[in-house]
Parts: sequence; structure tokens; C-alpha cells
Amino acid sequence: MEKLSFVGRSLPRKDALIKAVGTAQYAADRDFAGLLHAAAVRSPRPRIKILSISDAKARLVPGYVTLVTYKDIKGVNKWPVVMQDYPFLPEKEARFAGETVALVVADSARAAKKAAALVELKYQELPFVEDPLQALKKDAVKIHGKDNVFSSFVIKKGSVDKAFANAAFTVEGEFSTNYQVHSYLETQGAIALPEADGGMTVHSSTQCPFYVLDAVAAALALPYHKVKILQTVTGGGFGGKEDVPALVASHAALCAAKTGRPVKLIYGRKEDFQSMSKRHPGWAKVAYAADAKGNLTACRVKYVLDGGAYSTLSAIVLWRGTVHAAGPYKIANVDIQTFAAATNKVPCGAFRGFGQPQICFAQESLIDELAEKAGLDPVQFRLKNLLEPGDKTVTGQKLNSSCGLKELVQAVRKRSGWDKKVNSLSVKGDIATGIGFSAAYYGVGLGAKGRYLDRAGALVNVYKDSSVAVNVGNAEMGQGALTVLAQITAETLNAPYESVRVEEVDSSKVPDSGPTVASRTTLMSGNAIIEAATPIRERVFKTAYDILIAEGADASKPMTAAGGVFSMGGKAVDFKKAVSGCWDRRLKMSEQGWYVAPRTTFKMEDGQGDAYVIYSYSADAAEVEVDLKTGVARVKKIWAAYDVGKIVNPKLAMGQAQGGILQGMSWAMYENLVYKNGIMVNPNFTDYVIATSADKPEYDITFIEKPYAEGPYKAKGMGEVPLIGVAPAVANAIRNACGARVRSVPLLPEKIWKELKKV
Amino acid sequence: MPEIIVKPASLKELWKTLPALGKARRYLAGGTDIVTADNAGAESSECWVDISDLPELGAIKETARALFIGSGVKISAIENSAPARRWCPALIAAIPHFASPSLRNMATLGGNAANGSPCADGVCALVAEGAFVHLAHNGKKRCLPLKDLFLGPKRTALEKDELITAFEVPKTKHFGAYLKLGPRAYFGISKAAVAVSLEMSGKTVKRASIALGSVAPVPFYAVKTSAWLAGKPLSSEVVLAAAALVMTEVSPITDSRSEADYRREMCGVLLERALKSVCR
Repeated sequence: MEKLSFVGRSLPRKDALIKAVGTAQYAADRDFAGLLHAAAVRSPRPRIKILSISDAKARLVPGYVTLVTYKDIKGVNKWPVVMQDYPFLPEKEARFAGETVALVVADSARAAKKAAALVELKYQELPFVEDPLQALKKDAVKIHGKDNVFSSFVIKKGSVDKAFANAAFTVEGEFSTNYQVHSYLETQGAIALPEADGGMTVHSSTQCPFYVLDAVAAALALPYHKVKILQTVTGGGFGGKEDVPALVASHAALCAAKTGRPVKLIYGRKEDFQSMSKRHPGWAKVAYAADAKGNLTACRVKYVLDGGAYSTLSAIVLWRGTVHAAGPYKIANVDIQTFAAATNKVPCGAFRGFGQPQICFAQESLIDELAEKAGLDPVQFRLKNLLEPGDKTVTGQKLNSSCGLKELVQAVRKRSGWDKKVNSLSVKGDIATGIGFSAAYYGVGLGAKGRYLDRAGALVNVYKDSSVAVNVGNAEMGQGALTVLAQITAETLNAPYESVRVEEVDSSKVPDSGPTVASRTTLMSGNAIIEAATPIRERVFKTAYDILIAEGADASKPMTAAGGVFSMGGKAVDFKKAVSGCWDRRLKMSEQGWYVAPRTTFKMEDGQGDAYVIYSYSADAAEVEVDLKTGVARVKKIWAAYDVGKIVNPKLAMGQAQGGILQGMSWAMYENLVYKNGIMVNPNFTDYVIATSADKPEYDITFIEKPYAEGPYKAKGMGEVPLIGVAPAVANAIRNACGARVRSVPLLPEKIWKELKKV
Repeated sequence: MPEIIVKPASLKELWKTLPALGKARRYLAGGTDIVTADNAGAESSECWVDISDLPELGAIKETARALFIGSGVKISAIENSAPARRWCPALIAAIPHFASPSLRNMATLGGNAANGSPCADGVCALVAEGAFVHLAHNGKKRCLPLKDLFLGPKRTALEKDELITAFEVPKTKHFGAYLKLGPRAYFGISKAAVAVSLEMSGKTVKRASIALGSVAPVPFYAVKTSAWLAGKPLSSEVVLAAAALVMTEVSPITDSRSEADYRREMCGVLLERALKSVCR
């Protein structure tokens, strides 16, 4: 591999200082002259017919400015996201408790909240549907189309019935998983500023500025060139700032358009819980068949996601879940059917893993049960069946050489001491210890279902003082994009890392680069930067060479470029001087880059095709202690190994790995959002419990870098990978420790305790 | 948050100020319950009366017979108090389970008790310690056994404007334990908690006082189990029998935090473990 100066090194985060000292400007921190504040009026019930909305009492609040309803929408009242069934503001019917039905604008946030509470919403309750499995039944109340199905996919291959009939071993099980709340530190928020020419500038906490652009332009009926979206420093996203910030920003923009003044809309935590997207609850019935030697022969899956009241991203979340539903195995006969169901609850959307963790929990738990039936060690069983380079996935996609899955499994097996631990029962007093395993794969990028969005732009601009400004269309949300993309820029230009600055997204500087999701930013924006920077690189390198020759360098050996310095024949010239030379020659020092993902395919009839451009891989082993009397389980240690291609910044990759494991463990063990009669019971961090640092397991993390030829410096994608396999590894460890097989996430002590009574 | 927050400098000033304030007023001590409630939209006072720095509430005093813990003493100060460590072992055992270190720097036992929640860790431990609560309203003062302060979930015997001034814990040599089942390793509201205070005479229980959190409408004093244990040797049979008995005394519910059956059984498990820890 080529020698690299900046890529592959743990360089400091570009945003470390401003975040550490508190000067970072989040949406709520920004202020503007004449700023007004908005607050939402929300539906109190799961499904209502809106009869009237009156601000008669709200008007009495000092500082009250106006009420904004759907009547104030100049554009079409449809939020442009995928299926477009979600109105910006409802006209006749609100479909979940917490849905914004109107907005109040006032001269302070306090007055706006007070006035919003005084807006009188007259409504009639309508019959509603709460449970996704009930929603799919024929006699269910219909809230979406004829069947409450937002979307549905199949993958069909071979003869599944025959394979099950001929199998030596079969297993079947039903599994379920609950919501997960993104729990980003910064709640949703946006500020909209009306411009003199009738345009609108929006400051938005978002991971998808171009979704915000689509929505604001649609709501205000403005041409795109009159709308500018500036991403603010974003305090966490995890998928929760994919789609919904567009709704929040559109609401702020509607208020700003009506009042002609800047309007700030910052969510409180409770309303953020009640109305912003969540990880879909999942239900799955999975069955596997194997032959007498323990080779998987067939897989049958029915997988249902609870989409909530509007479809938003459910279709594509479901699609990713569908493609990965059988697990990372060679299986000839497959029958996968999946459904996203409509219910009168909060609309669910993107969350790290995007429809995969739910089904991975089901299928990886069941793989352990099948191994047990076949009399094989769970790791041995997996090794027999895992995908390798040259194998075909269930969609018929042939895997290339960038697939280190078996090596990952072997690494985790060895490092965790699996072979010794798995069969040694350990019970001390009331505490039993066990170990569990899982393996997973992850299609990087948007894949066939999102291929029209799978492109990204970059603007690289080298100033005459040699400082480098980079604009991209993908967002920093805490994951380290600014840093990793600066490293890629520095590497390509041979510019000092310190001289490169990557900015938060400005929609007017780069073309629509799709969403910052699907672990695609390093790959897509990284490649776009390389495309933009390459012609500049050629100019800088040529100029540096000429300067070196002019300074009398011995040209018998080639020029080398490393760490921002060009050297040849005993002479050296730095990047600054080379850039200065370029400017003297009036060379073009600013370029646009554009990267389009390679072609992917998916046939709707049978789900066959090259679903994703490339896959990342993971293996996890979890060691768990279970209190046999209380059912309380504690994850002591997680061994994990990842193949995410070349690691651009090892320290950031380690952070992603640890954060992903902890977030996955938190979902697996603790996080329990409760609905009762269509109302969210615990929309707060008192009763919606997430893991703290005291719950953190010990980590043992290994990277095995299988280079991806198309990737920037051979990188793939990493952000979501570490979360996916944690829950089943933990569930399998609990089973190994005490015999309790819990088939529903979160793996609460109450559930383990009930299972223990059966053991 | 209300429009008005007043902060009197002394008790005298407090009593003088109160009549002029809006009727929907509440005391603000550490703020760890009331501010959370406010954030959740469950607090609608017109006015908060900030008593967090009232000097009369802020001290721990020791007399010949009892320890007085001012209602405004921060939990972290109790943790660091030598007399509290000596005379309130169950309370001290509860403190690591009490919220988080940063909240312990804010929270007070007075606020914890006035909030009237059945899950309050500090209050549950103090009930087991056999504490009395001192109340004041203008010139009037009264004193109750702490367990009698609680009437139901979030309901107390406190009259309007009546203020908790201190908790009195009799100075007796005893063992204490506090075990809690929370939703995660630390910093969470209990599903069930058990506080035990035991006066021992050799291996025999002289006096037992058992209180439980989150398994009844109030911080629950287990009358039957406490009385049953008195005079018994602390053998494993007795421990198991006490654990079985306490399960019949509690009245847990199913809610978003846990389930009734589980909570009931956990009362037994926790009591068994707490008593065993004393045996050791």
C-alpha cells in the first residue's frame, strides 16, 4: 500500500476545541436582530378529527405574535420525503399524539410556550390502531391505504418448502424489539431568516441539509436558488436528524414567512421524544433449516416494522432490513417477506443500523439455537456457513475480495478465549457468567433502493495563503466527518492537515449530495473531495517540481511528497510556497468534485440483484453476568472485530466502535419506550433509561482492514457497523450463562427472571 | 418555570414574605425533583420559594441522644459527615444509590421527603433509621415519626406552607444496609429497594426496622416483618422466613418501570441479601 502522511493517523478532531470549551454554536446558540420564537401546538390524542383551532386565549399572553396553521402554507401541503403522505401541518386529521397541528409565534420562547398551551384545539377522537400486527389484519381500522402497509418487499430464491422438508435440523422462533430513542444531546431546532428578495435562509441542526432544502422550498413554494440551508454545529444525530429536521425547519420557515422576521424553533426534550423519529419496533418470525453436517440450507423470514403514523423513511429502513434478514450466510433457499405497518404512533425513521439490528437480533439468536440442535459450537457453526469472497448473498450478489468476515470471527474467537469459555459453566453464588457470539454484514451506502440519491459533491478551494477550504454536502454530527474529510483532502493535496478546513454544510456551495446516512460520508464525500482535489494536486505538484528544479535540485531521482513537503535531490519546498507559485502562474486553484456510487440493482419480484456497492463486516462476543435471583444481567466485556476497509483515523474509528457497542448494548438491555392506549408513557430521561458510563463494558476492539478499491484510500463505511451485532451476542451470552432465552429486546431483568423460572 | 422565584435569607424573612406571594407556591430546595417536573410540564406553580440556602436548615447537629440532619443539607454533605456515618449506617448505605454525584451536590433529604415519592432512596433509608421529622409553620412546630409523613403517592401530611426543618435520628448502635434494584448500574429510579436497620444483641435481633421503596404507595415501613424479627436469632431460616413475610406485606404495582410480581419477589431477595450482609 502507498505510504500515507495523513490518512491512517489519529489526528486531532477539527472540532475538538470548540466543543471542549463551549464556543461551538448550536442552533439554540444563534441569535439575530428581531428574532421571534415559535412553539408547537400538539395533538393530545392518537387520532383526531380537527374541528377548530382558536388562539382567542393565547392572544392574551404578552408578547404573542401570531398563530400559524396549514392555511399559511403557500406551497403544496405535503412534506417531500419518500412517499409524501405527511402534511407539513394537518388540515383535517392528526394521526398521532404529539403531532404538530399548529405553531404559535411570540417574542420570547417562554411566551410562545405559554401561548401554545392556551391554543384551543377542538377535536373529535377517531378509532386508532396501536399494534403493527393488528394493523395488518383484515378487520383492522384503516389509516393508510387499503391494508395499512406502507411498503413490503420479498426475496425469493430456490425451493424453501422442499429444503425444510429435507432438512436434518430446523428451528423457528418469534422475536420482537422495542423502540430506540436517539437521545442526542442537542434536541431538534432550526432558525429561519426571511431574506429581502423573498428568499429564506435556514440554520438547521441536521444530518441532511438537502432534505431540509427540499422541504423548505416546497412549504414556501420558493425556487431552490432562493432557499439557503446552513447546517449548524449538530449535537448528535444517529439517524434522528435525517428526515425530521426538515419538518422542524419548514415549521420555522412558515412562521418566518408569515411574520417577516427571523424565527427560532427549538424543541424541548418531551416534544422531541413524542414527535421526532425513532428506531422502529420490530417483530420477526424466522426459521432456518440445515443439513446433517450443519450446512444452512434454507431460511424463511416474516419481518414487520412498526412504521408509526406516516411512512417517512419506513420503506427504505425496511428494505435494508430485508436485504440483510437472513444474516451473513451462504443459503441457497430463501423466502423473506417484510412489511412496514402504519399505526397511530410516532413515525419511525432512521437509526444507526437502519432496520438491521432488529432482524439481526432475531436471526443471530436463532442461529445459536440451530447450532445447539445440530450439536455444533455456535462459532464453528457460523464458520461453516459464513460468506466469503466469491460467495453469493441471498440477493445473488457475488462478494469481492473486500470481505474479511471469517477472519473477524476467528479473531474474536481467539481474543475472547471462546473455545474455553463457551462450555465451562461458571456460577458463583447467585451469579452465572456466560459468553455469546454474533456475526453481521452491512451494505455500505444507500444501495439499490436509494441509488438515485447516492451521489455527492465537493468544493475544494485553495487560497493564495495556502489555506484550504472544503465544502461538502454531507454533515458532521459528532461522528468526525470534518476531521476524516480534512485528512483525505490533506493527503490528496499534500497539504498540512492544519491548513485544511472543512465547513458545516452550506446548501448553496455544493450540489445535493444526498443524506448523511448509511455510513456513506467517508466513501461518498471522500471520493468527491479526491475528484475535486486531484487536478489541483497536479498543478501544485508540477509547480513544486518546477520550483525545486529552479532551486537547483538534482532531478535524477523522482520528487517525493509527504507531510506537506515536496522533496527532490536534496532540496525541499513546502506546500505554502508551491501554492504561492501556482497563484503566481494564475492556475485554477478551486475545483468541484462529484462522485456517483457504482450501479446497484434490486428486482422487486424476487429481490435478486447487486443490492449494495460493498459490505462492511463485524463479529462480536459478549461476556455477561446474570444474577439468577433477580434476572439482572450485566455485560462485562465485548470483543469485537470489524472490517470497514482502510481506517482513516484510528482514534475516531475506535470512538465509533465503542460508541456503537454502548448504544447497541443500551438498546439491548435498558431502553424501553412505553406506549399505553396510543400515548407515550415515558417521554423523558427519568423513565426512558439509557446506559451510562457506569454500565459500559470493557472493550476489546480489532480492525482487520480489507481494502476496497473504489473507496477513498481504500476505505468502506463504519458508523453503523458496531451497533448491529451487539444485542444478539448479549442475548446468546445470557442464554449461555443461565439457560434463559429471551426473545424480546430490551432484555429486561423482568423477562430474564420469567425465563429463569422455566429453566 | 414560574415567573417568580423568591429567595428569603432567613426563616424569619421566609414567614414574613410568604403571605404576599401568589397562592400556587412551592418550596424549592435542591430542585432535583421540581425542575425535572417543570421540564416535563408537570409543574404549574406561580411562584417558587427558594429555601436552598436557609442557614437554619443547613446543618448537621449532634446532641447526647440524637442526630439532627437539617432538611436543607446536601446529600453529598451527609455522605461526608462523620456523625452521620456513625449513627445512620442505612442512610449512608443508600447514598451511593441516590441519583448521581452531581445531583447529590444539589439534592436534599427535605426536598426528597416533601416530594412524597415512594421511590425516594434517602427517605426510605431514613424511615428504616426510625427517624422523626421536624416541621415548622411560622411560629408553630411539630414532630412526627417520618413514616407517618406519607399519606399516598406524592401526598404528605404537610400543611400549606409547612416546612420540613430537620430529621432526627436517635443515636443507637445498630447495623444498616440498603439494597436497591434500579434500571441500570447507577442513577435510576428503583424498581424495589430495601433499607434495614438492626440492633443486635450477640446473634439475636434486638430491634429490626425495615423499610422498602417503590413497592407501596409510600416509602413503606414493614411493620409485620420488623416486629417478627425482634428477638429472633439471625439464622438462615429466620432470614428466609423474613424474606417470605415481607413479600406478603408490600403492595407493588405494574408500571413503565417494572412489574408487580417481579417487584414483590425482589423485596424478598433484597431483604434476604440485606439481612445476610448484616450476618457477615
